[in-house]
Amino acid sequence: MQILIVGAGDIGFELSKRLSHEKHDITIIESDPQKVKRASQQLDALLIEGRGTSYITLQKANLSEIDIVAAMTNNEEVNLITCQLAKKAGVATTIARVRNPELTMPDFIMTPQELGVDVMIHPERETADAIVRLIRQSGATDIIEFEDGRVQLMGVRLEQDSKLLGTPLIKLGKQFGNPPMRIVAIVRKQETLIPGGQDVLEPGDQIFVISDPGYVADFIALAGKKDTKIEDIMILGGGLIGQFVASSVGKEINVKIIESSAEKSEEIAEVLPHTLIIHGDGTDYDLLAAEGVVDMDAFVAVTGDDETNIIATLLVRHMRIPRTIALVNKVDYMPITTTIGMDAVVSKQLLTVNAVQRYIQHQQVAAIASLPGIDAHCIEYIAKAKSIIVRKPLKDIDFPSNAIVGAVLHQDEVLIPKGDTHIVAGDRVVIFSLPQALDNVEKLFK
Amino acid sequence: MRIASVIHILGFLLMFLAAAMLLPIGFSLYYGDSDYVALLISAGITLAAGIVAFTTTRMSDDLRTKEGFAVVTFSWIFMSIFGCLPFLFSGTIPSITNAFFETMSGFTTTGATVINNIEEVSHGILFWRSLTHWIGGMGIIVLSLAILPFLGVGGMQLFKAEVPGPVADKLTPRIAETAKILWGVYVLLSAAETVLLLFGGMNLFDALCHTFGTMATGGYSTRNASVGAYGSAYINYVIIFFMILAGTNFSLHYRFLRRDFRAYVNSQEFLFYLSVIGVATLIVGAGVFGHYDSVWRTLQHSLFQVTSIVTTTGFGTADYEQWGFSSQFVLYMLMFFGGCAGSTGGGIKMARIYLLVRFVFSEITRLIHPHAVVPVRIGNNVVPRDVMTNILGFFVLFMLVFVAGVLVMAVIGLDMPTAFGAVAATLANIGPGLGDVGPTDNYTQIPVAGKWVLSLLMLMGRLELFTVIILLSPFYWQK
Repeated sequence: MQILIVGAGDIGFELSKRLSHEKHDITIIESDPQKVKRASQQLDALLIEGRGTSYITLQKANLSEIDIVAAMTNNEEVNLITCQLAKKAGVATTIARVRNPELTMPDFIMTPQELGVDVMIHPERETADAIVRLIRQSGATDIIEFEDGRVQLMGVRLEQDSKLLGTPLIKLGKQFGNPPMRIVAIVRKQETLIPGGQDVLEPGDQIFVISDPGYVADFIALAGKKDTKIEDIMILGGGLIGQFVASSVGKEINVKIIESSAEKSEEIAEVLPHTLIIHGDGTDYDLLAAEGVVDMDAFVAVTGDDETNIIATLLVRHMRIPRTIALVNKVDYMPITTTIGMDAVVSKQLLTVNAVQRYIQHQQVAAIASLPGIDAHCIEYIAKAKSIIVRKPLKDIDFPSNAIVGAVLHQDEVLIPKGDTHIVAGDRVVIFSLPQALDNVEKLFK
Repeated sequence: MRIASVIHILGFLLMFLAAAMLLPIGFSLYYGDSDYVALLISAGITLAAGIVAFTTTRMSDDLRTKEGFAVVTFSWIFMSIFGCLPFLFSGTIPSITNAFFETMSGFTTTGATVINNIEEVSHGILFWRSLTHWIGGMGIIVLSLAILPFLGVGGMQLFKAEVPGPVADKLTPRIAETAKILWGVYVLLSAAETVLLLFGGMNLFDALCHTFGTMATGGYSTRNASVGAYGSAYINYVIIFFMILAGTNFSLHYRFLRRDFRAYVNSQEFLFYLSVIGVATLIVGAGVFGHYDSVWRTLQHSLFQVTSIVTTTGFGTADYEQWGFSSQFVLYMLMFFGGCAGSTGGGIKMARIYLLVRFVFSEITRLIHPHAVVPVRIGNNVVPRDVMTNILGFFVLFMLVFVAGVLVMAVIGLDMPTAFGAVAATLANIGPGLGDVGPTDNYTQIPVAGKWVLSLLMLMGRLELFTVIILLSPFYWQK
């Protein structure tokens, strides 16, 4: 498809990169010459220097041939006007990145149609939701939902006393009564492996499972994690993400927010009456100690500064806080987060890109998600009548070894496939794949 | 430096080159020549080398800018090394130096030849000689981008390193698509010219060879007297027309074909290019007045020589060394101008010359009004400062290389007009120069060392200096 992306900042850049790899044709409009230069060197995309709010600039991008416009600048107003112009010019789908939570409320005065926006993507909201999932499921490093939560991809780090260690995977299933889950990847020493039946899990492995959400709690226990009941959390950074997290976790959890700007602290205090707002520096050990960080069940670092978030979480992890979640925006930092001993990490970029991608569908792809720090994708394909995958049972299909089928959605029912499972047209298949196998997997669903 | 990736791409290009060597065999058989044996052996060797290079190496991740320069430069060098095999094996050019010179001259679309009597060369070899022009014209790398799927993002680096002009135009989101479009336009124009030349009475063989020479702005002919041998005004005008098109930015042709009919008129560079041709034709014409029996014939031949030199083609219909000094001097100056950016022409390029002139004027304005903000513009667009700096750097480098080249030639023992002519004509990829390498002579008598230096100049000129010179810098090879 022909996709126009407005804004080549953090999010626009990552989105362009991903979509370009997926064989979409990308045109980018960006006003900052430095960012234009960076993008033109690193992406196979057509760069246009200018503003998305200028119709003349949009015209240069051949608007009549564009299928989707995604306005991803950090300025909401620019994004909305860009989408309005694009819609007026006849672009089929417009996607806008927004900040203001009012816009997506059901009783907002203007409908999305009136705004000219088909899809509103709320990066701060997406990030906050991911954080809340990770707080609720405190044993997991990553949680990604498919099909409105009916299938879940979850990452867990195995503890020394996990019951899953030492037995080949092929026997593990029988041992635990064939639970509705499948281990789709093992991340060991920064390397992502797609496991086979003979593989044995080791302590310290981060494993990814695709499962029925109902089984998640049991599984986390097997991994050796104590599913701590979260009662008190501390949030570092009172930005939009922090505010969303504070207001979404509910009243049963006590929330403290630490914010470094005095002015902002007062603003937040006004918006969040049930939350304790503390004005101070989050990397100040004494302050954290004074605010009882040791007694916290979870610590969430969501300031706008990656380094602060990383250092602060490392600091509190040192104090044996069971759950830490850090917002890290720089994609380059992702691979080292595990090595340096961080717990869960969320990336606004990746979450936003994942969210946008739900709407930019490849013909046979229903959803695609990538995980922070791991070079692999989890993709939901739709099997068609002519696809190779529906011809034979799974065990007779020449399936690439660097990919694995995690779950099959057959007529609203979630199945964990076995060798004799026969996928039929219309099934939705969740596949975990390393990048080198993507092309071959795709062929099976053509 | 990821040498494996570089060798991998070279391997692919050699396999492609081997396939191209099979094309002339049709003509060889048709005319009953025996040179198909030489072509087959050359293709076999090239294919074998290509397969070995391609299969024993793997592409690592995306290419970096750094590898890009090496890929492009080495591609051209290795294409020339293997491309000269047919000349050697057929015995047309027995010396390695001469055969390499002839092939480099072909691929870089220079058109400087070392063959004394072209008319006795067999058809297969002659066709191969012209085909090297056509392959090199739009660019080996651009062609491989169009057909190689595995270059990815690194492709843009290669594209920039090969496509002439200060800024490489990307026409579509994907570089592979842009490369396909450029080659598509190139093939289309070539087909049109071939048909028109057939109408003019040329046979298919001559029509194709001259089309290759024109569209690539190369200049290899199949006749000793070049295009002049046909003595046909129709053929001259067809070739003039297509030389002008070949010297134009190909993205303008694409826009025009996409029904943007004002594409040409809106391009400041194109208008400047036409004005240069117009003015130069008038001055040259005035200088040769009386040489021909009519004004029209005077203009026709002046226009032909001017176009041929300015687009860096190097076809001839007349011996301009017989013309007056004013005409000769204008032609000599034009050697430096070259075609438009993004064309198949060589030289400094119209866009750069135009911007250099505008830059000088903006400096003058700045002297008069010290606080004035005077951006350099081309058409309505302001030229970014780094692009302008790059152009100034390019111009200085071009002149330095030119002077150094002349110096080397002088030391080797060439006389003044020959040295000036040979260096300008090879560095700007034109072909015929002045003196002993003038339009009626060729490069045979240049000493061996001189031929290697001129081959290097041709390569530098085609890849616009920086791409090649970077590899000579010790910093490039440091980790």
